[in-house]
Amino acid sequence: MSEVPPRQRLLYLHARTPSVFSEVLGLTLIEPVAGFRVEISAEEPQWPYKTVHEAVVEGWQIVQFPYLQAPFDDRDLDVIGYEFILQKMEVVQ
Amino acid sequence: MTDTQYLLSDAEVARFIVSGYHLLEPELPAGLNESIAQKLDALETNPGDAITEAVPEIWQVLDHSQVKGVLVSLLGPDYQVQSHRHWHCKQPGSGYMQWHQDGLNNRDLHLNHFLGLYYPRAVSAEMGPTIIVPGTQYRNAPTDRMATYTNIRGQVPLVVKAGTLAFTHYDLWHGTGANRSSVKRHMIKFLFRRTRPNTAPTWNHDPAALNNPHDWNTRDQAEDVNNILTFTNPLRVSQSDHYKERSIRRECWNDLMGRTA
Repeated sequence: MSEVPPRQRLLYLHARTPSVFSEVLGLTLIEPVAGFRVEISAEEPQWPYKTVHEAVVEGWQIVQFPYLQAPFDDRDLDVIGYEFILQKMEVVQ
Repeated sequence: MTDTQYLLSDAEVARFIVSGYHLLEPELPAGLNESIAQKLDALETNPGDAITEAVPEIWQVLDHSQVKGVLVSLLGPDYQVQSHRHWHCKQPGSGYMQWHQDGLNNRDLHLNHFLGLYYPRAVSAEMGPTIIVPGTQYRNAPTDRMATYTNIRGQVPLVVKAGTLAFTHYDLWHGTGANRSSVKRHMIKFLFRRTRPNTAPTWNHDPAALNNPHDWNTRDQAEDVNNILTFTNPLRVSQSDHYKERSIRRECWNDLMGRTA
């Protein structure tokens, strides 16, 4: 009987600063399941992790650290927070 | 001439600058909202800009004194209702819509145009409400850059009563929830624009309202212009971003005061 290979779960966390201890301002969880769609919630969303560090403690691995919003501009505003991309390799049924 | 009783206060104008939206529940004639909603229910094609010809009662909403009060307050007495308008009918069973801005990112740091979203029928969380992110309106972030965001702290679903108008900054990030109900969710979007710069405040301005010193104890609960512009942080962004926001807000406020005309 063949073993089911693990698949990549993805977690995008938009943190207040580049520090893993700063507060999470945005969250997108993508499950490796055919047809899976993310959805903005009209109800109060779930916030399983308050910081990136909390997700790391739960076994998520950071695969991309935030691009530091360069070129530096001391007046302009762009995206919200700093994007960390994390993964968990798990067997997903 | 707009009745001054319907104009916004200093604090309301400051909150619009900070959060990028203002909700209004005008006291419309009994039955008007449902009459408009039923006519929209019956439309088989989208008339585009001609939605106000297909359902002329909509003009009663735009001509209402409370609606005019908001528009005069934020865009001046010579504001223009632009010819483009659109009926957004979110059908039962339709999915959510990703965060986006309408058109290109305009990054106008002065308040020269914005949207008015009219909901003739009450909108519940299950009906696919518009969802906005207060405080995003000054971000130079075109729609493609929003693709990896889903839920954002501080997002506000416009779960509203029938007849509500949401005035929203043109660049405010917005999307919709999915419509899981059996009811059509109607929204008619209007665009309003300023036709000349302010030379003085066009709302119910009290010069003394600007005199409050900074109060580090009330912060987000502030009720006066200085403290609203300084401390409100709807997105809970970092200090660097917050300081930039303060600068933009002050520039916008000063422009509305007529100081840069």
